[in-house]
Amino acid sequence: MGNRRGTVTWRIWTVITAISIGALVVTGRLVQLQIIDHQRYAAEARVTQVSEETISDRRGALLDRNGYPLAGSEDAFDVMVEKRAWDDSAEAAVAANTISGITGRNTDEILSIVDTAEIFEIAVARGLTYEQAQAVRELRLAGVRLFESSRRVYPEGNLAAQLLGFVGRDNVGLTGLEIDLEGILGGAKGTVTFERDGLGNRLALGESREVASQPGANVVLTIDRYIQRLAEKELDATIKKHEATGGTIIVVQPKSGEILAMASRPTADVTQPDLSDESKLALFRNRAVTDTYEPGSVFKLVTMATALDLGEVGPYTPWYDEGVYTANGYSIRNWDFSRNGDQSVTQILTKSLNTGAAWLANLARQERFYEYVDRFGFGKPTGVGLSGEAAGRMRTPENDPENWRPVDLATNSFGQGISATPLQIAMAVATIANDGKAMKPQIVKEIAYPGQRKAIQPEAAGQVIAAETARTLREMMGVVVDGISSAFLNVHGYKVGGKTGTANLVTESGVYKPDTYISSFVGVAPLDDPALAILVKIDEPKGVPWGTVVAAPAFGRIVQAALAYMKVPPTEGALVSGLQ
Amino acid sequence: MATVHKPAGSALTGVLRSPSLPVILILAAMIVGVAALLPLVQSSGATSTAGDIRALEQAKTDWRARVRALELEVAGLGSLNRIEQEATQRLKMAPPKETHFIRIDVPAPEPRRLPSRYLPRTTEPEGSGSSVFETLFGWIPRP
Repeated sequence: MGNRRGTVTWRIWTVITAISIGALVVTGRLVQLQIIDHQRYAAEARVTQVSEETISDRRGALLDRNGYPLAGSEDAFDVMVEKRAWDDSAEAAVAANTISGITGRNTDEILSIVDTAEIFEIAVARGLTYEQAQAVRELRLAGVRLFESSRRVYPEGNLAAQLLGFVGRDNVGLTGLEIDLEGILGGAKGTVTFERDGLGNRLALGESREVASQPGANVVLTIDRYIQRLAEKELDATIKKHEATGGTIIVVQPKSGEILAMASRPTADVTQPDLSDESKLALFRNRAVTDTYEPGSVFKLVTMATALDLGEVGPYTPWYDEGVYTANGYSIRNWDFSRNGDQSVTQILTKSLNTGAAWLANLARQERFYEYVDRFGFGKPTGVGLSGEAAGRMRTPENDPENWRPVDLATNSFGQGISATPLQIAMAVATIANDGKAMKPQIVKEIAYPGQRKAIQPEAAGQVIAAETARTLREMMGVVVDGISSAFLNVHGYKVGGKTGTANLVTESGVYKPDTYISSFVGVAPLDDPALAILVKIDEPKGVPWGTVVAAPAFGRIVQAALAYMKVPPTEGALVSGLQ
Repeated sequence: MATVHKPAGSALTGVLRSPSLPVILILAAMIVGVAALLPLVQSSGATSTAGDIRALEQAKTDWRARVRALELEVAGLGSLNRIEQEATQRLKMAPPKETHFIRIDVPAPEPRRLPSRYLPRTTEPEGSGSSVFETLFGWIPRP
């Protein structure tokens, strides 16, 4: 009996020991999982159970100066498919076919995307409209969900395409104002963190945390859609008529420096940008600020302004043109090799005499001439705020003493040997139109944050020439226009002033391309109290290249339509009763 | 033969007065069972509410998307290209071939006067300032 009790006791203790050892092992493992390696396992669990998605609010719109949207955003939807839910090929084919019917995307393409996906969930169609998204949602297809995104819409089509730029698939600006104003238009991204089930769906009662996104601000530009369209239509028509390779038109409000229109050709389609060909990327460049050219005879306005402001000459100061001007052993001749004899200073502009411009620069002397050139803003960016803006090149005795030669002063005086952007030329003319006061070019007029508006005030860049000098020069520009045949430039009801320019095209290697020109015209209107300063530049026109023939007519038509649109009353002296 | 009349309620009363262990256990099991259902009901309600909230959020998103799409549709309808298209194709309009500028030498007319009902009153309406009671008791001297 006592033996049996001892056996039972032994067995019981064996079981107790085994259970204790097992309990110790389990406890040890629990200690390892819950205490020692807690952080690691908690992090791993979090990765599998918790999702974090970036959320973005509506991108701000780009509006014209009157509030018309040039670029806006609407909600779009991406169709996301969970790979595991489409394991059954027959069911997947049916679902893909149904989605194809709504989105227009090929069924085989959809199936291929899902088959080859190496991630949990993949987009099979992007940018669906609200109606399309509703149709997909109502299908209630297994493993299919809609992901809210955004699509950029351009109500005015490709108007001001290069200026506005475009956004990428992630709704971030890639070119133009879209990238320059990304910080304002894009708003602030937010995040939503939530627990999910085994299929990846959000748990209704799970833990969730959201950092709210902020919508982007609307940006009101100084661009006027009517004048921008006018400029683009005239630019297209002129390029077509003269079989030119491209061109630029800039319209500026001189008193404020606000840019009303900025058009360049060739251009690109921002509504459906084609990024497949690298060579096409150049089409998205805003040539009005990124490209430089030799301005040619329009630069004589700067030379004349310098000589007038220094008091070296007046409009009627006599001068004798011998047809050749010698500088540093080089002979400078007029564009038509003419010898004009007795002339007034005004005729240097009306006849666009190179010899006269060289004489004026010599009168001004090199230091003062280049000082005025600098004051007009050449050789440095205008600070308009558009990315890729070029500074232009102006070789002076100070910045390049080794290469500068005295003949450069003569050639620079009529716009050769220097390079400038179209915007720099337009702003120089705007300075003359604004009584010699230079304004900083402005492209953004107002920023409308949610619940707050911030107006951007015009900024003066300094008094370049005296107001009296500017008025005198404008009168001379009026005489220039009077000398242009009405067949090329005839603005009814307004007196206008301007200057033509025909420059040789400089190749990338720095030599002149034979028989290839850039025709341009710069002008102000109305002459007494200018409301507009305009640059028209046409690249490589075929046939007659003169600025009078090629660029001046476009200037006239823009002025005629724009002043009436802006309700600028016709000039009193130019008015006659009845039919004009 | 005498019968003992025992009311039906007295048995239950007896059980409640001195409950036996099995009864207590059954009652406890029932209470625990009902209590166990409460979180389920609560969870179900919360899930249902969460579903409703999500549906409402979805509806809100849909309406917002619709509003934004309409905003841009309106902008597209007001675009210059469409205006020109409507003008030239539907209304058969064409750009002017001539522009007339007419100088007017007579002075501009005076600004149009507003109808009198929109103008501020300059005189008080007749009879104002004396009510019926003032007329009746006006003879009584005021303190």
